[in-house]
Amino acid sequence: MSDLALDRAAAVPSVAQERVETPFRRFVAEFAESKLALLGLGVFVVIALTAIFAPWLAPQNPYDLGQLDIMDGRMEPGTVGGAGFTFWLGTDDQGRDMLSGIMYGLRISLSVGAGSALIACFIGASLGLLAAYAGGRTDSLIMRLVDLQLSFPAILAALMILAFLGKGILNVVIALVLVEWAYYARTVRGTALVERRREYIEAAHCLALPTRRILFRHLLPNCMPPLIVVATMQVARAIALEATLSFLGLGVPITEPSLGLLIANGYEYMLSGKYWISFYPGIALLITIVSINLVGDQLRDVLNPRLRK
Amino acid sequence: MSGILRRNASIAVGAAVLGLAAVGAAAPEARAQTLTMAVGAPVTSLDPHYHQLSPNNAVADMIFDRLINTDNLSRMVPGLAVEWRPVGPTVWEFRLRPGVRFHNGNPFTAEDVAFTIQRVPNVPNSPSSFAAYVRPIQGVEIVDPLTIRLRTASPAPLLPQDLTNVRILDRETHENAATEDFNAGRAAIGTGPWRVVQHRSGDRIEFERNDGYWGDRPAFQRVNYRMITNDAARTAALLAGDVEFIDQVPTSDLARLRGDQRVTLSEITGLRLIFLGLDHLRAPNEDSPFVTGNDGRPLGRNPLRDVRVRRALSIAIDRQAIVERVMEGAATPAGQFLPPGVFSHVPELGPPRYDPQEARRLLAEAGYPDGFRLTLHSPNDRYINDSRIAQAIGQMWTRIGVRTAVEAQTWTTFIGRAGRQEFSAHLIGWGSNPEGSHPLRNIIHTANRERGFGASNRGRYSNPEVDALIEQALVELDDEKRERLLQEAKRKAFEDVAIIPLHIQTNIWAMRRNLAHTPRNDELTRAQDVRPASVPAAR
Repeated sequence: MSDLALDRAAAVPSVAQERVETPFRRFVAEFAESKLALLGLGVFVVIALTAIFAPWLAPQNPYDLGQLDIMDGRMEPGTVGGAGFTFWLGTDDQGRDMLSGIMYGLRISLSVGAGSALIACFIGASLGLLAAYAGGRTDSLIMRLVDLQLSFPAILAALMILAFLGKGILNVVIALVLVEWAYYARTVRGTALVERRREYIEAAHCLALPTRRILFRHLLPNCMPPLIVVATMQVARAIALEATLSFLGLGVPITEPSLGLLIANGYEYMLSGKYWISFYPGIALLITIVSINLVGDQLRDVLNPRLRK
Repeated sequence: MSGILRRNASIAVGAAVLGLAAVGAAAPEARAQTLTMAVGAPVTSLDPHYHQLSPNNAVADMIFDRLINTDNLSRMVPGLAVEWRPVGPTVWEFRLRPGVRFHNGNPFTAEDVAFTIQRVPNVPNSPSSFAAYVRPIQGVEIVDPLTIRLRTASPAPLLPQDLTNVRILDRETHENAATEDFNAGRAAIGTGPWRVVQHRSGDRIEFERNDGYWGDRPAFQRVNYRMITNDAARTAALLAGDVEFIDQVPTSDLARLRGDQRVTLSEITGLRLIFLGLDHLRAPNEDSPFVTGNDGRPLGRNPLRDVRVRRALSIAIDRQAIVERVMEGAATPAGQFLPPGVFSHVPELGPPRYDPQEARRLLAEAGYPDGFRLTLHSPNDRYINDSRIAQAIGQMWTRIGVRTAVEAQTWTTFIGRAGRQEFSAHLIGWGSNPEGSHPLRNIIHTANRERGFGASNRGRYSNPEVDALIEQALVELDDEKRERLLQEAKRKAFEDVAIIPLHIQTNIWAMRRNLAHTPRNDELTRAQDVRPASVPAAR
C-alpha cells in the first residue's frame, strides 16, 4: 500500500502532497512535536496494558483472600514469601503483594476513571448540545444546573453522594459522573453556540433534516476538539478523585483495594518506617495522572486553533 | 565607678539567672494546668444512661460518680456510697457519702439515688441500655437522706457489682433532662471530678476541674478531651506534642514508640474479648442475609445454625497468628470471655486449637464439602486493628472453603446495623466486669428487653439450658456455687460455639515522658488517672 502511495506521489506530486496532508496526519505530526507528550503517551499505553493484562502478569491475585497469608504481612521489598515468589515491592499488612496490588489497583483506577469520564461525557455533551441548540428556557435550566453543580467542590459533592449511596465501585462511578458531567456540558454548549450560527447548520436546516441528525451528525463532530481535551483531563481528575475517596474509606471494599486504598492502608505504617506500602502505589498513581495530563496538555495545544502556530 | 557598675551588673545577671531558675521550676507547674488527651473511639453521648459503651463510660466517670466505684483492676471501692451490706435476704442497705454536692451546688441525697434507679430503664432510644443493672430492684426505701435500702424480688448477690455501672444523677437537675440536654452540656452535671465546659460531638469535650470534688483532687486544672479516630494521626499528634496523652495505641506504632525517648507507655491485660457474633436468628431453613452458595444464589438454609459449621469456622482461625502478626503481641488468644485468674474462669476452656483439616471435615459432615460464601462485617474505627483482624479471618475462612468477603464500616453505622440483626457474621468486642455473669447475661442469654437479658446479644443466640444456668447463678448468694453455675453455663455456651472468641486485648496508652498514668483493665481513659510524672500515684 505504501508502495502504491509512493508510486502515486512520484507520478503526480501535487496531488500526493494534498493526500499526505490529511487533518488526521497533520494532527499526529503536530502532536508528535512534543517529545514529552509522546513520552506521556508511551507511559500511559504501558500502564493501560499492565492494567488490562494484570490477571496474567501479576504473580498473585491480591483480591483473593485465599491467596493472601498474614504470615507474609509487611515484608520488605525483595523478600521471598511463603508462596515461593519474590515480593519485589514488598507486601502490605495482609500479606498482599504490592506489585500485584498496584496492577489490580490500576485496573480499578483506570476503569473507574475512564468509565465515569465516558458516561459523564455522553450525558454532559448531550445536555450541552441541547442547551445550545434549543436555547431559551431549556438552555437556562440546564446551565443553572451546571452552575449549581460547579459551585460545589467536586470532592465535597462526591462525599455527599457517597454518604447517601453507600460504598461500592458502582456508587463511586455514579458519584464521579454526577460531579463531572457539568464540565462537559459547559464546554460543549460554548462551542455549539458558535457553531450553530454557521452556514452549514443553516444549510442543514434548509434541507429540513431532523433535529437529532443536525445535533449529532453536524453539530457534535464540530464540537469535538475541545471535548476531547476536556475528556482527557477529566479522566485524570476522575482517577485522582477515586483515589481520594478510597483513601478516605468511602470507595472500594477493603479486600479489593484500588490505589487510593492501598495508600491508605500503608499510611498507618509510615511512622514505623514501612514506607513501601504507601510509597509505591503513590508513585503509580502519580505517574498515571502525570502521563494523562501530558497527553491532555499537548492535545489542547494541537486542537486549539488559537494556539496553533 | 566602673567596678561598681560591673558588680551591679553581675548581681543583675545573678538575679536574672535565679529568676530564670524560678521560672524553670514553675514551668512544669504551668504546663500541668491543661491536659490535652486524644482518644481513639468517639463518645456518642454525655448521657450516662444512654449507651453502654466504654468511651461513654469513661467520660461519664469524669463527670459523674457511681455508688460504688471501681479501681484500676475493677475491684469495688466506695464511691457515693461509703458502706453497703445486705440487711436481709432480699434487702441491700447503702450508707451514702455526706457533704457531696453536684457541680451546680445541689446536695447529693438518697432522693437522687432513687431518681437514678427510676430513670435508668426509661431512657428513650437507648441503643444498648443500662436497664439490666437496676432490673433486680423491686423497691426503694429512703431511710434517711443518707441511707437507702434497695429491695429485690429474689436474693441479688450481684447488686453492688451491677451498681458499679450506674452513674448517679440529680433529681432536681435531671428530672426532665433528655439525652440531648446532656449532649448539649446543659444537663451534664454530676458529682464527679470534672465539669463539662464545652462538648462538640465527635470532636472534643473540654473539662474544668471540680474543685469541690469529694475525692482525690485531679492534677490538672483543665482537660481537653479530643477524639482522633485515625490511629496514625493520633500517634503523630502525640509525637508532635499536639496532644500529651493517647489511648488505643496503634500496634503498628508500638515498636517505634517503645524506642522513643520522649514517650512512655502504660499497659495492662484488659477485660475485652474480641469475638465474632454469628446469625442465630434465622431458622435453619431460612436464608441468612449474607450467606449464599458458591454460585451466589441463596442457600435456602442458614448453615450458621449448625454447630459443626460454627466449630469449623472457629478452629479455622489461627489465633496465634493474628496475635503475633496483626496485634504485634498486644493481645492473648482466648477461648472464653475473661483471662485466667478472674472469677468463674473455666480452666479447660483454652483458645480453640487451629486445625484447618478438621474444619474442612466438619464442613463436609455438615453438608458443605465445597463451603459457601459469607460476608464478615466489621467496624473499622472501634477496636484495635478491627478491620485487619476481619481480613485475616477472611483469609483463613477462605482457605477452608468458606469464601469470605469482608466489609468494614464506621462504628456508628456498624453498631446500628448489628443491633438490627442485619449481619450473618460480625466482629465485635465486649469489655466485661471482672465477674463472669456480666458477659453471659448480656451476650449469651436469650435477648429479652423487659427482663434485661441479652442486651448485646446481637447474634440472637438462644439456649434455654444456658439461660437457666445463668438465671440460677444470678440469685445464688453462695460464691462457690455461683462460680460453678457460671462455669457450667460458659462450658455449654462455648461448646455450642454461641460466639467465636478470638483474643483478649492488652490495653495500651502512650504519653509524653513528663506524665504518668494508672492503666485500667476496663480500658476507660479518664483524665483523673493521669498525673505529672513527678507526682506519686494517689493509691
